[in-house]
Amino acid sequence: MSDIDILVTIGIFAAVILLIAFDRLDMAVAALLGVSVLIALGLLDGDDLDSIIATAGGPLSLLFGGMVVARVLARTGVFDWVGERYLHATGGSGRRFLLLLVVLVAPLCAFLPNATTVILVAPIIVAVARALKVDFVGPLIVTAIISNSAGMLTLVGDPATFLVGSAIGLSFGDYLRTVSLGGLLAVLVVVPLLPRLLPDVWASRVPLGAEAPHPSTITRPAFVYLSLAVLLIMITLFLIGETLPTRIVPPAVAIIGATLALLVVYGVRVEPVDNVLRDIDWKTLIFLAAIFALVQAFTKTGLLQGFSLQLYDWFGTELTLVALLLLAGIGMLSALLANIPVVAAALIMTQGYLVAAEVVPEVAMASGFTDWPAATLPVFVAMMFGATLGGNATVIGASANIVAAGICEKEGQRVTFIRFARYGVPLMLVQLAVGALYVLALSLVLD
Amino acid sequence: MRQPVGRLRFDLARMTLLLCGLLMLVPTASADVLKGIRARGMLHCGVSEGIAGFSMPDAAGRWQGLDADFCRALAAAVLEDPEKVRFVPLRAAARFPALQAGKVDVVARNTTWTLHREAIIGVRFPAVLFYDSQGFMVPAALPVASAAELAGASICVVKGTTSGRNLSRWATRLGIEIEPLVLDSVSAAREAFFAGRCAAWSSDRAQLASVRSSAPGGASNWRILPDQISKEPVGPAIWGGDERWAMIVRWVLFALIRAEEDGVTQANLDERIAAGDTVQFFATGQEHQKLLGEAMAMVPGWSVRAVRAVGNYGELFERHLAPHGIERGLNHLWTQGGLMYAPPVD
Repeated sequence: MSDIDILVTIGIFAAVILLIAFDRLDMAVAALLGVSVLIALGLLDGDDLDSIIATAGGPLSLLFGGMVVARVLARTGVFDWVGERYLHATGGSGRRFLLLLVVLVAPLCAFLPNATTVILVAPIIVAVARALKVDFVGPLIVTAIISNSAGMLTLVGDPATFLVGSAIGLSFGDYLRTVSLGGLLAVLVVVPLLPRLLPDVWASRVPLGAEAPHPSTITRPAFVYLSLAVLLIMITLFLIGETLPTRIVPPAVAIIGATLALLVVYGVRVEPVDNVLRDIDWKTLIFLAAIFALVQAFTKTGLLQGFSLQLYDWFGTELTLVALLLLAGIGMLSALLANIPVVAAALIMTQGYLVAAEVVPEVAMASGFTDWPAATLPVFVAMMFGATLGGNATVIGASANIVAAGICEKEGQRVTFIRFARYGVPLMLVQLAVGALYVLALSLVLD
Repeated sequence: MRQPVGRLRFDLARMTLLLCGLLMLVPTASADVLKGIRARGMLHCGVSEGIAGFSMPDAAGRWQGLDADFCRALAAAVLEDPEKVRFVPLRAAARFPALQAGKVDVVARNTTWTLHREAIIGVRFPAVLFYDSQGFMVPAALPVASAAELAGASICVVKGTTSGRNLSRWATRLGIEIEPLVLDSVSAAREAFFAGRCAAWSSDRAQLASVRSSAPGGASNWRILPDQISKEPVGPAIWGGDERWAMIVRWVLFALIRAEEDGVTQANLDERIAAGDTVQFFATGQEHQKLLGEAMAMVPGWSVRAVRAVGNYGELFERHLAPHGIERGLNHLWTQGGLMYAPPVD
């Protein structure tokens, strides 16, 4: 890319972000417009399209699968049933509602794809919030943020942690020993902030009984059991699919789950399959695909990768400083860009930096290199924190956020960029601060 | 009143149509290094931080040497102007990250072609610009006739190069103990060696000869031992995945070699073309040249421009390396017992 191409690309990207941030144009249309201009100017070409499909295919499949399964489950009445139990567990207290939300979502997202989990739990959250007579937007945004943060709990919790962890040869157990505690702290730090961010919800108190929703009547048990069996198969495959002789990756699991769910709908003849597909949140999927295309154009500028030599010029072999810079920088970038391509580009940059700094041999630039010295671990952990937690700041920072906003809109409440940022930015800043402290502690321990 | 777009029904059929439309709009031309060079109008060439004979700024600040001139030949071929080169001095450890990050389009920096670099890192070496080997430089007064007599001695070596690995393998093979003193850069190794911190300096022999030519007290105070402990085919390196760029780099180098094979020099090039007695490789205006230019995405006459800019391979060698006492050896043309050989054009 020439310097002018780079400037034009960044200009288009910034314009899209501003259009969305100031609510001047619908998010999906703004993103599509940006992609169209990039294509028309030749700044996105055929090779880029291949890269976009390779990067976006997985997340979009996960979302599509989750949406189909959630839509089918909604029809069974099972969400009403779980919502009823959840509501009773809250005892009518908004505070317990939020605390239980954290307890419910965090463990799920430690193992399941974040956005898929948000899709599955969102109907329950909305139902309970309505029963408690509180606005469901705040709790749903917190759900998305908890789901992103809980991605740090395990190696497989978030594509970004998996990407970095697998690139440096971290096993599931290594991750639990060295990184999970940081992830747990990032989740827990949200709790003391909830009364400030959601004061109305936190303080709400509704006497149960009269206000509680009536238990749902499940009229088609066979449909319920079959749908739950599909959910169980999907969750099981999420957990063990990649260890099977024929490896089934999470996006493939989502597609299999969606197919089985549609098969159940067709077989039980509850409603036409067309109805289920029509209710899928296509706008969210299209928006996310367009965002991936925009990010591809941004990463193509090479600005991020090009920092590998700059980092060495600035910091030499001061790995702790580099780690903190990466945490903050990737955190800020992930607030505006999908974190997977950001992390992919940052990995190249970091590997290049460590080779240029002669911390590792040149062969460390190979994708399969795993013999990283312990002193480099905080650098990679900082990348994970930045990528995973940075996305909490804005509605476009993570697919779970986009999904949450899409669900809010379907439920009649529009979530603007600013509205999301009111919750997201403070939480992200506090979480990144916790991440920085953890990285510093890790550096001291490994020094 | 404008309808809120967020409430539009995005049904499957419309979305599929929209995506198909986007896919049809996507041009099929791929982004590549050549495109980037043309867009910025400048070739970014990674060179050493200063190795006389290969790449080093002269008193006027102009980069001189075999590697520097090869970059000028590339710029002449690709951009029709040999001066459209930005030289980027790189430490050995920074050369591949710089290539990967796109900071440079090509590295012409005494880089040895190895399987590990191609297969594991993903760097490509389109051709060999200079056949070298690793050797040893010692003070002339040191009473050793061969490197094997350096057992137990401290030997300077530059970090991030193939030299360190070659040295330890050589010592293991001979069953001798040595004490490598690993330095960060060529300048650090030079300083350490001439300060007497190590008994010998092991590196590419041409590099040692280059350093010796400006050594303290004169070249005669230092001796390069006859031992050659490795093969060091060095040449331009590029980042993998762009076959057309690899082809261009390779054939620009072959054009310089072919010019020497055909007796075409910087001085007689125009005369030979005017007389019509040059071989087809350097002829212009012919149909196959046009087709070749189109196939390589180059303006016809690229090979002529490369030779006009820097001369043929032999001229480059004589101009930059011979003054440092570097013998041509394996870098002679194949017709003269060397390994320099340009494949035929058709």
